[in-house]
Amino acid sequence: MSEFLFLRNEVAPAMIRGVWMSIKLIVPSAVFGLVIGIITGTLRVYGHAVLKSVANIYVTLFRGFPLLVQLYLWYFGLARFGIYFSPYTAAVIGFSLCSGAYHSEYIRGALLSIKEGQMLGAQSLGFSKTQALFSIILPQAVRRALPGCGNELIYLIKYSSLAYMVTCIELTGEAKILASLYFKYMELFLIAGAIYLFLVSIATWILNHVEGWLAVPGFEPPRT
Amino acid sequence: MKDSAMPANVPVLRIENIKKRFGDKEILKGVSFELNRGDIKAIIGPSGGGKSTLLHCINFLTLFDEGHVYLNGIEIDHANKRELYAYRQKVGMIFQDFNLFDHLSALQNVQIGLVRVKKIPKAEARERAVAELERVGLKEHMNKYPAELSGGQKQRVSIARALAMDPEVMLLDEPTSALDPELVGEVHSVIQKLAAGGMTMILVTHEIGFAGSLAKEIMFMDEGVIVEKGPPRKILYEASQARTREFCDKIIHFHHREDDQE
Ligand SMILES: Nc1ncnc2c1ncn2[C@@H]1O[C@H](COP(=O)(O)OP(=O)(O)OP(=O)(O)O)[C@@H](O)[C@H]1O
Ligand SMILES: [Mg+2]
Repeated sequence: MSEFLFLRNEVAPAMIRGVWMSIKLIVPSAVFGLVIGIITGTLRVYGHAVLKSVANIYVTLFRGFPLLVQLYLWYFGLARFGIYFSPYTAAVIGFSLCSGAYHSEYIRGALLSIKEGQMLGAQSLGFSKTQALFSIILPQAVRRALPGCGNELIYLIKYSSLAYMVTCIELTGEAKILASLYFKYMELFLIAGAIYLFLVSIATWILNHVEGWLAVPGFEPPRT
Repeated sequence: MKDSAMPANVPVLRIENIKKRFGDKEILKGVSFELNRGDIKAIIGPSGGGKSTLLHCINFLTLFDEGHVYLNGIEIDHANKRELYAYRQKVGMIFQDFNLFDHLSALQNVQIGLVRVKKIPKAEARERAVAELERVGLKEHMNKYPAELSGGQKQRVSIARALAMDPEVMLLDEPTSALDPELVGEVHSVIQKLAAGGMTMILVTHEIGFAGSLAKEIMFMDEGVIVEKGPPRKILYEASQARTREFCDKIIHFHHREDDQE
């Protein structure tokens, strides 16, 4: 009976708080990350020289630094210069920029895989380069990049657990606190792990639907 | 670029002394010609002679180093983007490998230029696109994507797509050379219909029979220059330049051999 009370009174509220915080971290980071990735990936292929190198440097840095180091820099590092982010803000900034760098790679690769003829075809009809980019090239590149970007979103769900290292208490953080309080590491981390698995399954389901919805003959999602 | 008030004697398209180099290789060494309304001129010549480069220069997909392009007597200034985009609508381009937009259906391929470039409302653009596809005999395939169409059908969609922009001139760069032999006919008959409708055209091709039946003039191009031009019969059978004779003999023989095999 005490096990049930423990679950109901301690574990459940903590896990619900934790999942909610995790979702509040993941969803905006996923959206910002994708937007940043599409913009910087496009700049790296079609941008003017200066913007191109800025975008390249961004990707090199944010793929090169370990994510945890990046989070420490945003949260603790910048504080030294009088820039204080809340733990939540620091985590969202860190996740978005890191995720964006990976998306950028997938978008860049996809853009490079689109044949030059697509641009020529559009230009020959009177499209400007920018118009062609938005209505012809990017819609194709995004479809090509989808499997890679989808994977990155799945990773994001899992590395969002690093937020608790900058004191943003999400799912892993809640589990850790309870576990050390009651010395039930195995039970609590198994529960937390199962919840992550559940989140990943939902994300996978959504991604499959998006892929199906964007599928066009010649751009089918790879069958797995 | 208002053309309605133009006197009849101004050529629709005139190109003057176009020169283009890639690196230290001069690909076009000063090419000039003009097309009057309804003219059909064919360009033949060996591979690498600069035919595709010339067509790309004519609508500024490749920027040339020297020379001038005039539409209805008015020089096109490619630095003036608005003018350039308007000009490109007037000069339809057909590519050897179609360059259809792979993520769009046949209908959307034809419609998108009308919507995005001409800013025509969607419903009206759709109606127009359906009509263009009907003209090339593809109305029943309009919801298929390029990956679901044969080469011949793709090329006909690309012709419909160019026609939808209401061009005054069409540039066709080996429109059938990427096609299986049995699909060439359907594209040729679409081009013939265009010709019968009075479309002004430049046709780059290796199909000399087709070129001869359609064009008023054939230009033989080699190493960046138009070596010789004249009526088809003259260029194909009684060319004055040795280079032209050699090329024509070779491809005429080649075609006869192909005919023999059938
Ligand atoms: N972007 C480019 N950069 C460098 N060289 C180029 C480029 N485009 C074309 N060339 C060169 O220009 C020459 C002419 O090419 P072009 O494609 O115009 O010939 P073509 O007459 O159309 O030949 P084909 O009958 O094979 O289509 C070739 O030697 C080609 O290698
Ligand atoms: Mg060519």
